[in-house]
Amino acid sequence: MNIYEIKYAFQNLRKRKLRSGLTILSILIGITAIFALLSFGIGIQRYVDTLADEAGRDKLFIQGKGIGAPGTDENFFLAKEDVDFVSKIKGVNEILGMYFKVVEVKFNDQKRFLFVSGTDTSKIGFMEESFSIKVIKGRKLKEVDSDKVALGYNFQFPDKVFRKTVRLGDKIELNGNRYEAVGFYEEVGNPQDDTNLYLTDKSFEALFPDSKDKFGFVILSSQKEVKPSELAERIEEKLRKFKNEEKGKETFFVQTFEDALATFTTIINVINGMLVLIALVSLVVAFVNIMNTMYTSIIERTKEIGVMKAIGAKNSDILIIFVVEAGLIGLIGGLLGVLLGYIISSIGGNIAAASGFALLKPAYPLFLIVGCLIFSFLVGAAAGYLPARRASKLKPVDALRYE
Amino acid sequence: MLKDYAIFSLKNLRNRKLRSWLTMIGIFIGIAAVISLIGLGEGLRLAIMSQFGFLGPDVLGVQASGIAFAGPPGSMVATPLSDELAGKIEKINGVEAAFNRYIESSTLEFNNKQDIGIAGSAPEGENRKIFERMLNLRADEGRLLKDGDTKKAVVGNDFKKEDAFGKGIKIGDKILVNDIFFEVVGILEKKGSFIFDRIVMINEKSMIDVLGIDKKKVDVVAVKVKDQNRIVQVKEDIEKLMRRERNVEKGEEDFQVESPQQTLETLNSTLFAVTLFVYIIAGISIAVGGIGIMNTMYTSVLERTKEIGIMKSIGARNSAIFTIFFVESGLLGTVGGIIGIALGMSFAYGISFAGRYLLGSEIIQASVSPFLIIGALIFSFGLGTLFGVLPAYRASKLNPVDSLRSAK
Repeated sequence: MNIYEIKYAFQNLRKRKLRSGLTILSILIGITAIFALLSFGIGIQRYVDTLADEAGRDKLFIQGKGIGAPGTDENFFLAKEDVDFVSKIKGVNEILGMYFKVVEVKFNDQKRFLFVSGTDTSKIGFMEESFSIKVIKGRKLKEVDSDKVALGYNFQFPDKVFRKTVRLGDKIELNGNRYEAVGFYEEVGNPQDDTNLYLTDKSFEALFPDSKDKFGFVILSSQKEVKPSELAERIEEKLRKFKNEEKGKETFFVQTFEDALATFTTIINVINGMLVLIALVSLVVAFVNIMNTMYTSIIERTKEIGVMKAIGAKNSDILIIFVVEAGLIGLIGGLLGVLLGYIISSIGGNIAAASGFALLKPAYPLFLIVGCLIFSFLVGAAAGYLPARRASKLKPVDALRYE
Repeated sequence: MLKDYAIFSLKNLRNRKLRSWLTMIGIFIGIAAVISLIGLGEGLRLAIMSQFGFLGPDVLGVQASGIAFAGPPGSMVATPLSDELAGKIEKINGVEAAFNRYIESSTLEFNNKQDIGIAGSAPEGENRKIFERMLNLRADEGRLLKDGDTKKAVVGNDFKKEDAFGKGIKIGDKILVNDIFFEVVGILEKKGSFIFDRIVMINEKSMIDVLGIDKKKVDVVAVKVKDQNRIVQVKEDIEKLMRRERNVEKGEEDFQVESPQQTLETLNSTLFAVTLFVYIIAGISIAVGGIGIMNTMYTSVLERTKEIGIMKSIGARNSAIFTIFFVESGLLGTVGGIIGIALGMSFAYGISFAGRYLLGSEIIQASVSPFLIIGALIFSFGLGTLFGVLPAYRASKLNPVDSLRSAK
């Protein structure tokens, strides 16, 4: 392949502007969809990776099995003595039992139902590290804060949680009791976590006396020299014996943060993969279109091929000319598709962020862009191969005679 | 007249077999993808709908407000309903019956295997008949619960199968609910609902006395209305009573009174949004196929410029030339559509067949309605003609003299 062949291919495409344009359009559409979908998939993968890094790969959690949102099934929980017991297991570094419950929140005469958590104030730093969140405005909760509440990111904006913005010092009612807002947490990126309320364990127990010492969710970290996955097994075995449950009949489960995140990414990847597969169908159609265009092009240029052969072009030259031409159609389609896909997923990402799903942030790594371009070129070239072979096999005499 | 055009078009398509086939492949792949996705999506929607669909139009459910996206009813609420409400609701004019229901997650054990499942209460006394009618409960094996059945349970139809506990439950078997033995006296008829087919139903009294469920925390109050035409009025009356009982202002309700129909509508709109997204992505292939038709038709017009010139010079009108090409592209679309529908249907039913026999899942169903088939046919014809309009128009506007000369 040399520069003349590419030039020749360009000339041919330009000569048949309309047909080339339509063929390029057909591959462009498919590449656009695939690029946009993949950029979201990779973006979510990256978000999860940073989450795992920030939260630390030494974290584990224990949770009651139950049904419904994690930590909220009141029939399956971890009692305080369970947590005390686990804290003594070898290899456990820090441990924290957390309360979770749904609460009626009232602010400025507007009501919402949201999740509230209760945390031991001496371990708030550990909780923040585990969920990788920091207070960005105001301050953390302190032990004496029996009538104070810290709020998720979204409360700071009008019309997100409540019509009116919540400011530091404002009073909020939880199940009829008034609390003062003392701090706001940074954005997590999903509407549920960003609308959480945070109380101290003492004020949570005062608000829900029935739930005292019943933790929905226990976070712990492993000591440096201990592997979290091994620790998880050890805790499961010991806690099972402590709670007098048989193997396979536990009412709780222990998981490392890493495993939990991996499960989440797998689910996302499967969904995204299916969408990409559906989008690939359109590329198959584009493949057929390119083939069609190339067959037509060859019929039109039969005489030309005859001339080229007559003055010494080899079969392989003819083959390359047409394969390159088809590949170019694919490449141009891919280039435009990547551009359009970039625009679409950027807009999509902004819309998602505006509606509270900041975790849906597309990423555009180099390999995705280059990969899409190479792929579109290959699709074009492959579609052009059969027509090109037919062209290369033409007998010069017959081709010249063709009208 | 149109018949002549059709025959002429068919001949032309046959003359360019390879190209016609390639163009049609483009269309039928797209149509097949859309048909199979819509078919499977519709099947999924029906499967999910059937979870709630068997509740009649004369039923209302009263629940405390909370976060309702996950978990059984009543599990994620701020202030649970009290057990005295049902009695008060029952006195409202137009209400035939109202009773408390307790729905609790609990451990279920059988054949030395344990799972977390849902135990639901059955009301006793006069309300039992109404409850059974309301949910259309019938025993597949054994019998339903009756008053005085302590430590007896009726289980959902899925427990008959081996996959729940490695061994099917039979009448007379004992199962452990929260580590307490219950005797299975009946198995419910299949409901096609993953809630009711996997429920363990226990008398309200056993639920409270034996399992120790808090009597004061009611999960749902089920209400049967006497006259379904007056359901809106009754609903408002219940809301009024609830506001008074729970001491809340209008617009600040911490409870909901919903009919199953409303739940269905909410569910429907969520599902619609999800499926729409999938259809759009699948629709892209059809658009690409349409572009293929346009491309083929332009090429065809170009190739037959001389032919068009001849036809015009012997008296063909612009409209006749337009019709010839228009019908040709419409035919391309329709034939592609027919093949696509056949392929798409076999794919959708193949998947649901595989889903049923390999995974044992009834959620994967295909439902291709005649409406969808006719729609797809009209659509593919429309697609062919739509993308054929421009090329046909160009052909019809050709100047006979120029086109006769243009021939190579």
